[in-house]
Amino acid sequence: MTDNTIHDSESDVETDGGVQTEAYLEEEINIFRPATPFMRDHLRVIWLAFFAWILVVFGPVTLALANPSLVTETTVLGGYPLHFFLTAIITPLGALLLSVGYAIQRDRLDDRYGIAHDEAAESESTVAADGGDR
Amino acid sequence: MIEAVDPVVLQETALDVGEFKLVPALTVAVMLALFLGVGYFFRVAAVDELWVAGRSIGSIENGMAIGANWMSAASYLGVAALVATAGYFGLAYVVGWTTGYFILLIFMAAQFRRFGKYTAPDFVGDRFYSDWARGIAAFTTLAIAFTYAIGQASGMGLMAQYIFGISYEMGVILLMGVTIGYVALSGMLGTTKNMAIQYVILIVAFTLGLYATGWAEGWSTALPYLEAGPEFAEAASLEAQFIEPFEYAGYYGWIALAFSLIVGTCGLPHVLVRFYTVDNERTARWSTVWGLFFICLLYWGTAIYAVWGGLLYADGPGDGTFTDMAGVEADALVVLTTQLAGLPEWLVGLVAAGAVAAALATTAGLFISASSAAAHDIYTNLYKEDATQREQLIVGRGTILGIGVLVTLIGLNPPALIGELVAMSFAIAGTVFFPVFFLGLWWENTTKEGALAGMITGIVISFGAILNDTAIPMYTGVEDAVIPALATWLPGTSSALVGVPVVFAVIVVVSLLTDAPPRSVKRLVRQCHSPEPMQRTETAEDVATDGGSPTED
Repeated sequence: MTDNTIHDSESDVETDGGVQTEAYLEEEINIFRPATPFMRDHLRVIWLAFFAWILVVFGPVTLALANPSLVTETTVLGGYPLHFFLTAIITPLGALLLSVGYAIQRDRLDDRYGIAHDEAAESESTVAADGGDR
Repeated sequence: MIEAVDPVVLQETALDVGEFKLVPALTVAVMLALFLGVGYFFRVAAVDELWVAGRSIGSIENGMAIGANWMSAASYLGVAALVATAGYFGLAYVVGWTTGYFILLIFMAAQFRRFGKYTAPDFVGDRFYSDWARGIAAFTTLAIAFTYAIGQASGMGLMAQYIFGISYEMGVILLMGVTIGYVALSGMLGTTKNMAIQYVILIVAFTLGLYATGWAEGWSTALPYLEAGPEFAEAASLEAQFIEPFEYAGYYGWIALAFSLIVGTCGLPHVLVRFYTVDNERTARWSTVWGLFFICLLYWGTAIYAVWGGLLYADGPGDGTFTDMAGVEADALVVLTTQLAGLPEWLVGLVAAGAVAAALATTAGLFISASSAAAHDIYTNLYKEDATQREQLIVGRGTILGIGVLVTLIGLNPPALIGELVAMSFAIAGTVFFPVFFLGLWWENTTKEGALAGMITGIVISFGAILNDTAIPMYTGVEDAVIPALATWLPGTSSALVGVPVVFAVIVVVSLLTDAPPRSVKRLVRQCHSPEPMQRTETAEDVATDGGSPTED
């Protein structure tokens, strides 16, 4: 591939609001061994959300396996069998709410690490001035 | 598990086919003209714009595009069909096709945006520093687009039957022709603009049909999703198997299918490319959230359509039952529901037009990813390094034409229900792509050899499963799978539950046995996870090679 844009890495470090970029490029990426504070924080959010997701997605069907008569005989909202309601309506809703939760949490992480997305190129002063705190 | 569907016969369906309907036909014509007009207005000549829309799309618009791109005929028509005929098992499709976006969001969306290339094969080729890997990925992309699009062609044919009163075959040919024409004209920028429009059309049509049916039958007022309880009870008393959790397939089958659709979501090239089109990774994340919301709006309605359509069908042509309806009727159930509820023709036609929009939007996205795989990854990177933009456009458009014609031919006599066909392409994407994407992004020591071995293993497993229980039986006229025991544990629609762990293991073992990736590649992976903001036009490669090894290839 062509390599036409050589950026000056020194100036990148100064404008990014205090995050040492170079260090991130020196640390190994391994999902089970996060090597940087940012990855540790990020992965904590990811794993927590992931386990909640497993419960939301595979919980209802497993309940139906564990106790088929319970789910077919229990009805909600005037006739929905419990497993139908949980799987058809609640599971997608749960995934959606978890996504919102994750995105918000990730925005908070961005704030804490001084990550600005809008026009990172032009508004360097904004990035530096926000101090990296929420 | 998959019954081969007989060639569609015009007369033997409960859907009101056989005559030309003016208002529905006009609706479709206006809609197609709008798409072509928008495609023409936003037509492009530059490669960057053709494939990633200049990376200029915002999060709600991109979320709508994700929704339209996603919701094909399989979502619009196929899922309700599967819930109605397979009961609780059909809900595995609802779960698989919604919740997968969450995995994509937390593990992959932003990292992909940071990687910032053009296509899925591009990612594979660059991350695994191998033109062979790129070639295999491009081949898989083409195979996925092809399998996926057959289901869409089938949906288009069914809808054209109702709207234009022409034969199924004519419908497939007519609407696929339109699709091919407009994708070739407009490219990605046009299709992204179009996708937002297509999303609005399809969700309005789908939801309006649902609400109108609920009103007409006195079943619901404001929120049919929460009001359909009594009809579920009635459907259950009519057809006990409808609510029996594991009547149609066991727990294993349910989990295997949902899992395959979830990982397939994360491995689909035409889904991933939507993350390349946004301006930054925050937009990538939020557009995934918006996309999932827009997708849920439709999926919440599918089970309701299934149960309402089922009751109406049992009341009329079904003679007391509905889970045994014919494949073509099931696949048209959403439209059939509105027709059986006695809604006016223009409204039924609008619902049918929404299905056409859904099929068209997804096919467009698939064809774009197929054409860029051929033009960018195969032609330019493997065959002719210095290909001009003009040549690439010619190859890309040629691919759209070629694959379009092939899809049309197979779509004339599709081997399975729409939803099942699409599920097969998910199984391929999940088994072949998901492991290399995931490990490529999250484990920097994944090597070229590991990725190659993994992708080949994945191709053998997923293609083998489809050949075993669908393709070979279909074209030899034999009823059963070639190896029935294999079909039980490795169905063509659900091969990823076995396939993904196997492929993961192969990649990890081979990677450990081979030399670690070059330092420049490791830095590339690290850059995908770094908190350092990136500029709009930057890719991880641009940044990560700073101050790294001064010379790389």
